[in-house]
Amino acid sequence: MSTRIPTSLDGLPTTARRFVGKEVRRIEDRALVTGRAEFIDNLVLPDMLHCAIQRSPHPHARIVRIDTSRAEAHPGVAAVLTGADLERWCNPMVTAPAGWGPYSLAVGKTRFVGEPVAAVAASSRYIAEDACELIDVEYELLPVVADPCVATDPGSALLYEENGTNLMLDRAFTWGDIDGVFAAADKVFSAKFRWNRVGANPTETFGCVCQWDLVQERLTCHGAYQTPGFMALGRAHTLKLAANQINIISHPQGGGFGGKGGPRGTDIAALLSRKAGGRPVKYIEDRMEYLLAGGGQSWDRYYDAALAVRADGTVTGFRVKLLDDQGASAEGYGTISVAKPLAAFTGCYRIEAAQYDVKVVSTNRAPSYPYRGYGPPPHNFVLESLMDIAARGLGLDTAEMRRRNYIRPEQFPYTIPSGNEYDSGNYEAALDKVLEMADYGRLREEQARARAEGRLVGIGVASTIEPGVFDWNAYATVGVPGVGVPEGASVGINILGEVTVRVGFNLQGQGQYTLAAQLLADYFGVEMDAVRVVYADTDNAPPHFGPGGSRLGVAITGAILGACQAITEKLRHVAAVLLQAPFEQVELMDGMLRVKGVPGAQMPMAQVVGALLSRSDLLPPGMEANASTTSVWTAPGRTAPDADGRCKSYLTAANACHVVLVEVDPETGKTEILKYFIADDCGTRLNPATVEGMIQGGVAQGVGAALLEQYVYNENAQPLVSTFMDYLVPSINEVPMTEKAALVTPSPFAPLGAKGCGEGAIHTTPAAVICAINDALAPLGAMVRETPASPHQVWSLIRAARTASLHVPK
Amino acid sequence: MTQQHKVRLSVNGRAYEREVEPRTTLVDFLRHELGLTGTHVGCEHGVCGACTIIKDGKAVRSCLMLAVQADGAELQTVEGLHGDNGLHPIQEAFIEKHGLQCGFCTPGFLMTTVELLGDHPDPSDEDIREALGGNLCRCTGYQSIMESVRLAGAKLRAGAAVQAD
Repeated sequence: MSTRIPTSLDGLPTTARRFVGKEVRRIEDRALVTGRAEFIDNLVLPDMLHCAIQRSPHPHARIVRIDTSRAEAHPGVAAVLTGADLERWCNPMVTAPAGWGPYSLAVGKTRFVGEPVAAVAASSRYIAEDACELIDVEYELLPVVADPCVATDPGSALLYEENGTNLMLDRAFTWGDIDGVFAAADKVFSAKFRWNRVGANPTETFGCVCQWDLVQERLTCHGAYQTPGFMALGRAHTLKLAANQINIISHPQGGGFGGKGGPRGTDIAALLSRKAGGRPVKYIEDRMEYLLAGGGQSWDRYYDAALAVRADGTVTGFRVKLLDDQGASAEGYGTISVAKPLAAFTGCYRIEAAQYDVKVVSTNRAPSYPYRGYGPPPHNFVLESLMDIAARGLGLDTAEMRRRNYIRPEQFPYTIPSGNEYDSGNYEAALDKVLEMADYGRLREEQARARAEGRLVGIGVASTIEPGVFDWNAYATVGVPGVGVPEGASVGINILGEVTVRVGFNLQGQGQYTLAAQLLADYFGVEMDAVRVVYADTDNAPPHFGPGGSRLGVAITGAILGACQAITEKLRHVAAVLLQAPFEQVELMDGMLRVKGVPGAQMPMAQVVGALLSRSDLLPPGMEANASTTSVWTAPGRTAPDADGRCKSYLTAANACHVVLVEVDPETGKTEILKYFIADDCGTRLNPATVEGMIQGGVAQGVGAALLEQYVYNENAQPLVSTFMDYLVPSINEVPMTEKAALVTPSPFAPLGAKGCGEGAIHTTPAAVICAINDALAPLGAMVRETPASPHQVWSLIRAARTASLHVPK
Repeated sequence: MTQQHKVRLSVNGRAYEREVEPRTTLVDFLRHELGLTGTHVGCEHGVCGACTIIKDGKAVRSCLMLAVQADGAELQTVEGLHGDNGLHPIQEAFIEKHGLQCGFCTPGFLMTTVELLGDHPDPSDEDIREALGGNLCRCTGYQSIMESVRLAGAKLRAGAAVQAD
């Protein structure tokens, strides 16, 4: 049966929405504020062992010998795992592009500091760690590949000798007449940029409890899994099991932001269980392990980019050369971060031609994983910085520069040069709104007064697109196959009219269980608290992916509405019999099955379901006595990519404009954010409070990336960051309280008109903050081109600019 | 085997006595010996504040203490906030103002807020920043937490006023 999912809130069968679109309280929260939510480290299974991992202290080394005898003899130790076991039992990890995956635990050599080399299962974590220290590993150091800029030079050491190169990917995409527009440009503005590695750092690290069933050759993994089904596929490959013999049981997660899932930790705990006779093995990653080797390190990039611009400020071309350091493997799908910018390559602007020249290399840094935004945040930092450089070069106000280039409301749906289609938007309205909130004219006057006093005050204006509802086709350019990402929901109503929905993902913080309850409560006219939302493990779940790519809210809405429609059709048939009316005349509205135009001819939904499940004598012939169904949604209209990577990929395009006021202390180089304004348009807001939380959370992570956070490595690829003393996650003292406005341009294609909204602000904030700093520094002729804009970097730039100005001949 | 030490303490008004290794951290003791898993571990080096509990009236990081150091102490954890009359006003305020997303850091924020509002029933924003500056939240961006703490203060003051009447 084909269904049409409504693209507007008016499509819900209620005359008075009570929940959808309202700032409702979350159904998740009672368990969370009482400490009752079952995060993975709370799980205790009978006879459970605890895992500790010995990790490589060297960035690149051959493993000459491992002696585990002392560890094995240690009281309380049940099993010890080394590369020899992996070689015997496992495959290397699957990667995109193919062929850049190591084993889950080092075999033969180690490729980064923190790579697992051996592991122990023992009666407690304390004893497991004691035993880990008793494993003797002899290493032979190998030459290190530390600098991605020379990683492909002849004579460089190789991470994967069998590949003969450290170059994972080398592709150039040209969309439109790029040479023509650059040749015809009145001005060309170019600059180089460096985005340093940042990462997800959820407050809960990864953890799992794995149990290998030696009799049935089955594996059960409880854990902090963002994408359970996907995890099962990956483990099936590495552990050489059938995927349907692996049950992934996802627990509520203490944040994710991309890399939550721990493929290596899962494989290691699973293999230890196998060696320990099938006893369950718990592995809880500690923070130091997370910072050295966990999922979430992202975007280690060197850019060389240029804009072609006409004298009136019209941007006609955008060229980007990217050198991306993926680190020691492609196991974490970090390469996808290189592909995703195609979904919004030219941002909010009508730029007719673009070029993307990409080199992805492997070095002895830790492997890259996804992080919120998945690639565009650095890309937007480059584009928005160039827009400011161009505005300054042309003598235009930075807000005006953007206004002149926006895609206009009447141009939607709009296909960008890199192939994706933006569904809807009104970018100028967002700019107008945020300028009004900021009182932009007065802000500029304030700035002029401050500058006259010698203060470094700057204003940043940044406009970005947030591609929403990811699709696999967006990542074809790095070797990911497929079009469409199915997400399912099984909705059932019992004989009492109580509604339950089963989904294939667990809590991570974005409030999708609440959303499910909102939808079902309004659809069937019940209370939100009465809707039961149940997590189904991979043995039981409908097709699913889980949170990621600003997709799940939209996708689960589509799946639930699809199921609601199918059940409703059935209830209408039953009600038609009970109310003695033609099927076409019966509708569901406000929890009643009623005959259109006949006041009083109606029955409560619960009564109709009751009849369906308990009065087979009344049912139409052939009707199954079942008020449950599974519906699976995938984004409509997606296309296979062409040779240049062009396709309709992300279904929705939300947009935002941020205005930020900063002051830089010339003596210390420290940046203080004084004011922050946001106008954000992500279409229909299904729970506005949740959307605001997503935006503000993205601001915090954006501020972190712009000012504080960096995975620092030295010249030998030794990580210098291993605690929260070195990796600076912003606190309440660094994150600005922002003033936010909502614009609503519904998506014409997505369920209820909602657009993906989980990643928006991290797309915009780094660009906005750096643009503001550069606006502050502009009078000195200094410019930040590297993240984070740490006090030391900014102070050095100020000092260099002042020294240079002393030497300028008059 | 390492020598075991006896630890006697009270948590949320209930007395416990256990034999532990001296190296057992207080948070591991609470979570794994006593089964009080509402207190979470985020960094194990005293920066993130997820493990914050109240010890003898003061907010402390239970990952930075050994269980043996808490011998004789009176502890309060998140499990003690939810009483017979339902949620604590601070918990209610966090729900109302969406002061959490994933909720993993939340027990630490709640216990820090218990101390803050005990010391400053009507805190300024500066007081709130000062008190919560040692708790990391990776989800919310803190704005809704700020609002939650303000509301919690108002709820507690209103409750105190009712009791005084």
